[in-house]
Amino acid sequence: MAETKKWAMVIDLDRCTGCQACVVACQAENNIPINEEKDFLSRRAKQWIRIDRVWEGTWPNVKARFIPVLCQHCENAPCEPVCPVYATYHNSQGLNVQVYNRCVGTRYCANNCPYQVRFFNFHDPEWPDTFWNQLNPDVTVRSRGIMEKCTFCIQRIRRAERTIEGRDGGKVNDQSLKAGNYMPACVNACPTNTLTFGDINDPNSDVSRRARDPRHYKLLDHIGTSPSVIYLKKVDPNAPEEEAH
Amino acid sequence: MKISRRNFLRLASFSTLGAVACNFFDEREFISQSPVQLPEDLVTGRDNWYATLCRQCSEAEGLVVRIMEGRAKKVQGNPQYPTNLGGHSIRCEAGLQNLYHPDRISGPLLRQGARGTGLYSPISWDQALDLLRGHLQAQTDRSRVLTVTGPLRGSMAHLTSAFTDAYGARHMAFQPMEDAAYDQVMQDVLGQQTSPTFDFKNANYVLSFGADFLGTWKAPVQFSKGYGEFRQGLGRRNRGTLVQVDSWFSLTAANADTWVPINPGMEGMLALSIAQVIISEGLAPQDRINQLTGGQGSSALDAYAPNIIAQQLGVPPLHGTEPHEVIREMARGFARSGSRSIAIGGSGASAHTNGAFNLAAIFALNFLVGSVGAEGGVVLNPPAPVPELAKTISAASTGEWHRTVADISNGRTGVVMLRGVNPVNDLPGDIGLQQTLNRDDIFVATFSSFMDETAEMADLILPERTPMEDWGDDVPSPGPGFEVIGMQQPVVNPLPGMNPMGFADILLQLSREIGLDGATPLNMPTYHHLLQDQARKIQALERGSVQNANFNSFWNSLLQQGGWWDRDATADSDPSMPNLAEIASRASQPIITGRTDGNTFNLIPFQTVSLADGSGANLPWLQSSSDPLTTVAWTTWVEISTLVADAIGLKEGDFVRVEGANGRSFVAQIYHHPAVPPNVIGIPVGQGHTASLRYSKGRGENPLHLLGLPLEEQTQSLAWAGTRVRIVPTGESSPIPKFEGIVPAFVPNQEEAIVKVTRG
Amino acid sequence: MIPKFITPKMLIIPIALGGLLTTAVVILVAIFLLRAWFSTPIQIFGFPGPPEQPIAFPHTAHVDIEGINCAFCHRNVTKGDAATILPVEGCLLCHSTVQGENAPPEVAKVIEHYNNNRPIDWKRVHRLPDHVQFSHEPHVRFLTEVQGLELEAACATCHGDVRDMVEVEQVRSLKMGDCVDCHRDNEVLTDNPDITDCTTCHY
Repeated sequence: MAETKKWAMVIDLDRCTGCQACVVACQAENNIPINEEKDFLSRRAKQWIRIDRVWEGTWPNVKARFIPVLCQHCENAPCEPVCPVYATYHNSQGLNVQVYNRCVGTRYCANNCPYQVRFFNFHDPEWPDTFWNQLNPDVTVRSRGIMEKCTFCIQRIRRAERTIEGRDGGKVNDQSLKAGNYMPACVNACPTNTLTFGDINDPNSDVSRRARDPRHYKLLDHIGTSPSVIYLKKVDPNAPEEEAH
Repeated sequence: MKISRRNFLRLASFSTLGAVACNFFDEREFISQSPVQLPEDLVTGRDNWYATLCRQCSEAEGLVVRIMEGRAKKVQGNPQYPTNLGGHSIRCEAGLQNLYHPDRISGPLLRQGARGTGLYSPISWDQALDLLRGHLQAQTDRSRVLTVTGPLRGSMAHLTSAFTDAYGARHMAFQPMEDAAYDQVMQDVLGQQTSPTFDFKNANYVLSFGADFLGTWKAPVQFSKGYGEFRQGLGRRNRGTLVQVDSWFSLTAANADTWVPINPGMEGMLALSIAQVIISEGLAPQDRINQLTGGQGSSALDAYAPNIIAQQLGVPPLHGTEPHEVIREMARGFARSGSRSIAIGGSGASAHTNGAFNLAAIFALNFLVGSVGAEGGVVLNPPAPVPELAKTISAASTGEWHRTVADISNGRTGVVMLRGVNPVNDLPGDIGLQQTLNRDDIFVATFSSFMDETAEMADLILPERTPMEDWGDDVPSPGPGFEVIGMQQPVVNPLPGMNPMGFADILLQLSREIGLDGATPLNMPTYHHLLQDQARKIQALERGSVQNANFNSFWNSLLQQGGWWDRDATADSDPSMPNLAEIASRASQPIITGRTDGNTFNLIPFQTVSLADGSGANLPWLQSSSDPLTTVAWTTWVEISTLVADAIGLKEGDFVRVEGANGRSFVAQIYHHPAVPPNVIGIPVGQGHTASLRYSKGRGENPLHLLGLPLEEQTQSLAWAGTRVRIVPTGESSPIPKFEGIVPAFVPNQEEAIVKVTRG
Repeated sequence: MIPKFITPKMLIIPIALGGLLTTAVVILVAIFLLRAWFSTPIQIFGFPGPPEQPIAFPHTAHVDIEGINCAFCHRNVTKGDAATILPVEGCLLCHSTVQGENAPPEVAKVIEHYNNNRPIDWKRVHRLPDHVQFSHEPHVRFLTEVQGLELEAACATCHGDVRDMVEVEQVRSLKMGDCVDCHRDNEVLTDNPDITDCTTCHY
């Protein structure tokens, strides 16, 4: 057995333009139902990865800041202890996983998630018949009453393990994941290389290298969730003095 | 009925069976289907990634498509393809939904009822093509046939123009919000037939006037790839600075280090002002200044000195700096980076009556710092290495369209063939194409996969193969600075029951039947053969990323890589310097037309990253994708400055009537926008479809219909940013569909900001 | 205990109402349980018998008599996730000559499907519970390469003696207990902490 991996992601906010490519890539990869107008109005639209936009300042010195937010795969995940049926837990590769078979839909986890990245299926998903052709066979279509969230595209990791390690006898790492199109869908899509994914236990991986950038910080770090997603600060030469570090 | 035990059991089983049949299972779960034919990719029994091209927008990114069991599952950027380097946009992703869209037209349709009523009956391809051929052959004056396509490049441009030339038809390309002014200025100022690209990766200072290059302008994925490196590239010494001059808060303005708001249409004058500072402060080499000004020095530009003109430009004080000082700082920053500075103009800057002047003044700045053709500057693109692929057909200007539509209404057109465009919806309403087509002496044929507004006016609808089912090639424009030819291959077969045909194959068949097939390319049996013929010419170059003496191996590698490119084959032209004094002499104020009474604003119709020009409005992924800045989806909204909205008493979600320059108006909802300048409102284009497509019908409005027909003076392109509209509250209100607020925002906390910022 | 002013007659209505309510609750619970029972896509006890297929395809004739290898028709079983069934044109590879003329009725059906370009909707025999991701390829690889079984024997491990089945039916429960037992018995992945990681199969 290979040494233990810990999957992590680095998000460089200075590269992100807010273009939404990751959001739709995720939608396509993970069989997320179409967010219809009524879903927006009833506040039930699902985006496993979303881009939050934060306004700063007033006209004309106004700034829009973008931050992609997805499941942070916390080491001390607040969603895990509140689940009465152990539907969400931490696996040995550092992933916070959601087991659809176990989930009974109490929604405690979503309530307890400080990042608001868990989404509940209030309805069975619906697609016109022809769109079923394009659903990803590697990902479960979640039915009504089930909680869902970002999985770091675990189906791709598993396929990579089966194919690269099992069949070809290779190693699953940054390079082989990239070469085989096994990177999470959002990472693959990003046109500015904002997102980096990989094994943070491997000091030579891209994700480890970028995580050592002095701009690194973790979202809501003070509450002690210890996320696996590491952000790199946005750079703004006009930022007020007190925010400078 | 007596409830005996037997009866009870019978009843129970009956009802449960009924329940099972009614709603418990999807029958498909219990079926394992044997398809009739064996798609090639099933043989390997794994998912396969096939390289092809995205045809959702003009950028034509290289893609790889994941195929499983003969169905396309996922689209990703082709990491090898030199323009997009593995990145892709929302629109590429959504191309998949074109393929499996429930509203796709399955076979040729012939009009039954009156035009526009949507009554069609299916006919066979033989009947359909006989009919079309009959109409083409019946024309004694062959210039009475008008062929309309989108802008074309590569073999499709070669083939279509060969067909229209051989037949004698007129050919026009249509693109919503065309940018004829830009193409003209590239010729006038840079001396280029090809669109240049910008080396953001190595640039230090980017000064963009209106060009929303991170959003929808030209090739946003290619530019975004460079932008990422521009900000935080590995091994860069310092982070690049982006200054966006924009009359509206575009996505690029949102990402800029400094956004300089400006009165609409004044971008060119600001560029002259910057040039004046650079020249008068001696920030550029003197010989270059002499060349550019014809030895006049700054005197030709002194009328544009910042302190004279700042007021007129409408630049507000920024971070406590006076407007004229803001301009000086821009000029110094731009000049300091020397040849690693880029000045770009586009989108709003070109969409004014003085658009060509604006762009000329802006692009001339690059000569001042010597960044044309330099590393980290404006990179010129070579023409395609094979002459047959070098042909491009750019969109006709809106003025030209106006004349053409007048021609049609004068009865000087007998047959109109439209392929892959929707001008009935996308041309400004004042041109009146829809009314013009509504006459009996015209035969209208559309090549379209969907029943859009243009198809609804057609006599004959010929469903085209979607890009993922068809062959093609492309010479990207803008290219990456060297020769690239992209290959598009069918990655899946059409679904059972779908019976589309490729446009190129139809043209070739018509050529054979009409007898136009005397020479290449019209004598090719299929488009596939034509592409192979072109590939042989690429093979004969014996250079570049794919080389092989055996043609079959060459062809296979070409498809596998998604194209051919040669990084060493760069442009060798050395454009002559424009004359700044001459450009300054053409300086003019934009003519803003429209309403002047009441609450009037300058209307900026903009393209969002999802719907862009609206050609994909029927795709649910695009509709449901929230706009990056407002997070609104599924509808049209009016972006209005929070300050102004508060003053008028408009709240978010309030319906207002937007009254245009031409008496047209529509009702849309307000979005409170903290960053829109007070004199401007922004309304996204792309919605307002009336055709019966389930995801787009009756959603929102098309602001292009409010414009009237303002045209750029030199090139007659649509001056879409130069109209004033009036806003009248209707008193009605309802929540606006947006993502913002669905997820409760993080608790604002001074110590723990969500987006942390550092100064360097 | 009952106050004197309440006569037994007055109690009839509450008792009747209570009775009705109880009945209603019992019926609701029964409906709920019945729904739950019947809405599991796979049977809770035992396995379903062989379903009626649109074309009576005898595995006996093809495998036992003709000796065709499993992977000839289920050609992805050694390479991919799904075993897959041969496309109709694949049947015609043989049946255009073998029994092609004066075809028996069942073969004629296949030819008719081919000529009319109509896919065959076979009834699924083996169905895993929901939310399970299963791939044939690593299992076949283990059984043939590590255990050294012939392919046919490898398939028979889970699918039984299909060679002798006129109508194919399920022989193993193929539920999680079955999976885990088999993995334990064969000591596969048992040194891996992930053996009990749900996301090994459920995602």
